Amino acid sequence: MAETHSLQDLQQPAVSSKVFVQRDYSSGTICKFQTKFPSELESRMDKQQFEETMQTLNNLYAEAEKLGGKSYLEGCLACLTAYTIFLCMETHYEKVLKKIAKYIKDQNEKIYAPRGLLLTDPIERGLRVVEITIFEDRNIGSGR
Amino acid sequence: MPNSAGKRFKPTKYIPVSTAATLLVGSTTLFFVFTCPWLMKVISPAVPLYNGLVFLFVLANFSMATFMDPGIYPRADEDEDKDDDFRAPLYKNVEIKGIQVRMKWCATCHFYRPPRCSHCSVCDNCVEDFDHHCPWVNNCIGRRNYRYFFLFLLSLSVHMVGVFSFGLIFVLHHREKLGGLHTTVTMVVMCIAGLFFIPVMGLTGFHMVLVARGRTTNEQVTGKFRGGVNPFTKGCCGNVEYVLCSPLAPRYVLDPRKRPHVKIQPPFIRPDLSDQQITIKVSDNGMHSTITNSKSKSSIDGLDGKETQPPLPPKADRYNQLKGQLTSSEGTTCTKRQQSSLSGKTHPSTPAMYRFKPSFGTMPKVHYHTAGEKIVMPDGRKNSAILEEGVRSDYRSEPNLDLPEYANAPLHRTFQSSPHQLDADPTNSRTLSLKQGHHRPEKGQLQVLPPQTVASTAYKGVFSPNTLSNRNGSLSYDSLLNPSISPASANECMAHRGMPSMGFHSPYLPTKMCHIRESEIHRQQVAQTYSPVMPPRGLGRQSPHLRDREPSPVRYDNLSQTIMASIQERKEKEEREKRQMLHGRSQTHIYVQDSGVFDAGYGPPANASFLDGPRGHGSRGPTPPAYGGSRDNLMGVGLANYGQRTPVLRHAGTTLGRAPRTSSTSLHTDHSSSNSSQGRAPSHEGSYRSPTHKPRSPAMPRSPSYSHQKLSYISAHDRTDSPRETMKVNGQMDCHLSPSRHGNVKKVTGVGGTTYEISV
Repeated sequence: MAETHSLQDLQQPAVSSKVFVQRDYSSGTICKFQTKFPSELESRMDKQQFEETMQTLNNLYAEAEKLGGKSYLEGCLACLTAYTIFLCMETHYEKVLKKIAKYIKDQNEKIYAPRGLLLTDPIERGLRVVEITIFEDRNIGSGR
Repeated sequence: MPNSAGKRFKPTKYIPVSTAATLLVGSTTLFFVFTCPWLMKVISPAVPLYNGLVFLFVLANFSMATFMDPGIYPRADEDEDKDDDFRAPLYKNVEIKGIQVRMKWCATCHFYRPPRCSHCSVCDNCVEDFDHHCPWVNNCIGRRNYRYFFLFLLSLSVHMVGVFSFGLIFVLHHREKLGGLHTTVTMVVMCIAGLFFIPVMGLTGFHMVLVARGRTTNEQVTGKFRGGVNPFTKGCCGNVEYVLCSPLAPRYVLDPRKRPHVKIQPPFIRPDLSDQQITIKVSDNGMHSTITNSKSKSSIDGLDGKETQPPLPPKADRYNQLKGQLTSSEGTTCTKRQQSSLSGKTHPSTPAMYRFKPSFGTMPKVHYHTAGEKIVMPDGRKNSAILEEGVRSDYRSEPNLDLPEYANAPLHRTFQSSPHQLDADPTNSRTLSLKQGHHRPEKGQLQVLPPQTVASTAYKGVFSPNTLSNRNGSLSYDSLLNPSISPASANECMAHRGMPSMGFHSPYLPTKMCHIRESEIHRQQVAQTYSPVMPPRGLGRQSPHLRDREPSPVRYDNLSQTIMASIQERKEKEEREKRQMLHGRSQTHIYVQDSGVFDAGYGPPANASFLDGPRGHGSRGPTPPAYGGSRDNLMGVGLANYGQRTPVLRHAGTTLGRAPRTSSTSLHTDHSSSNSSQGRAPSHEGSYRSPTHKPRSPAMPRSPSYSHQKLSYISAHDRTDSPRETMKVNGQMDCHLSPSRHGNVKKVTGVGGTTYEISV
């Protein structure tokens, strides 16, 4: 080998722990996550930032589940076409989910990854929890 | 063939669905073949068309109900349940719209089932909004496919009715040919329809009721809400709308898709801990003393500086007086500290005396901890935030330290002391006072504050809006003092007038009030002293005057929203109370309430402006909403906050008024030893409020100087009904004479935007 690479340099930082932000059911079964700042993250990021992220997510989910004109229209159209419309077109909820996925990716890149954190899209957990992975803050060069 | 690895192929489970499908499709096909041609000929072609459409609808819904994912939850990852699996309780309670709902731990899926979720043993999955497992469609009915199931039932009922009716028509027209093929078939079809008519219609009716009530079959059958309230209902119309029109829920069991790869590499950014550090400093009383000592000189310098300004001279006097007073009582240290605080931190916006501008944010923290207590920052973030507000620039250093004391003492006092005001805000006051209370003997009212450390939040709220007018975090103690004084003074005044013991302790200046109360003479004296400043007030009011005179230098703009809000509330309450109490009184105290940021002479302005109370009182508003709340609140809050926010205290210290306050000792010292450093503020407050604080009185005359300087004082007290001076926390001091109640009150707008009326 021409050069040796330290494992540390090559690997992604190890996962130190995971924080799960649970759903907030106080307003019913609508999709809403708790905005309370978990204590494990206190040393890793700002509370404001986290709360802002969660609030935005909550807003996006609220938008997805909103009973409005768009959802009516979609329902009627689906009925009329014997639901074959679902084969061609994605639903309103799915569209918003895509938006959410993009937002989470964005947040991860801009805010969480630089702090050694990673947000997991809650859809992967059935919209039950928001999983935040905390990576070990291992300084490059510091021996393990 | 096996459905999946590990699952045995059970043909039996497909029997119902096969039967149902066969019957449905078969019967309808027969109907179309044998009955419809005649119907089309005889009645109308619309008949088969209609039937066709209905049948299509039935099929579509049937298919959706059968093949659609009902809302299956994927199994939880191991990471998620590792804590829960072994020591988790079986149930977890969650409150939904005020009703306790139990979430059960699912051993199969490894998570606590969300509300309305249930595990289907047939499908071996947890399903969201589980309704039931329908064998006729061989699928669970859950959130995603309930609508289709319901529509299937409805459309099937309609279809069955249609088929039966048209079949009947056909048969009735072919009575003579009953043996014929078509007729026979039609009759068979009619029989099938008739047979299944009852169960299907029954089920349809049942589900119609469920939809109207917003319940699932599972809930209905298990009697979950029998006799109780259903937290999931949205009203009949809302429920129907939800079932029929809500957007299609997403699938949770997704194909494993590629996660966007996010590169995570150390080193990682860490949040700024400076604020926390600062907080610690603040809470450490020991530092106060240090600061004080070192600053004593500077304070003097500050004083000098102040004197140069027109408003200063009076303040200086007051300050000296305060100092003196402080010395007499425990306040010695405080005085010094105040002085130091006053002069130590040079804050650009504040006059020499108010160099130290505690950040309001820090105040809350400070407040809650008694002097010498380390502020743990229970609120963590919150406190940091608060600290950040004001402390950033200056407060890392000593001034902050002072604040805690100061803030604690006066603020607490203020909150609590003023019976009118503080009592209304038990939380805030509690937090504040208790902490401070340690240091100073709580007098009666002051006791109100329970030693809650964490009251900071409430506290903050109180202070923020009103006390901190200085964004830089300079809390003008004056403002704190003043507001507190105002209510306190108001009370005192009242006490003076008629009550031997001042029950009223301005929250802001609990100590002061105490002192004041304790010695009527002092009060008298103070009153005297203030009188020049606020002549119209009437001497009787002295304490209020005192309070008024010294607009608490606390600036509210540094306070966090919560604090501001609470301050506002408090002020409002105090205002109201004050109004009631002081309705007839001179409004002097009220003036004090407005806490504005007065950079410099808060002493006199405190007196003056507060006295003007009426002017400002009503305008809590100039400052942030919280501030605008009620002057009283501000006063109380401000004072309390003031104490907490070292910066504010510092300011207070700077004001001449402060000095007296500290000297007033009784009040301040009571507050807390911590206040001693911050003490300046409390002392100021005390001086302001209590007539005993002579320094105040001199300050009174200096009111003009106040006006010039930014005094943030909490005009929490709404002592009087008068609208009170508008303390604009935002700190601009515009001197404008506002006709005070007493007539000689001059309205000055402090730096923090607080307008206070100074009686000239």
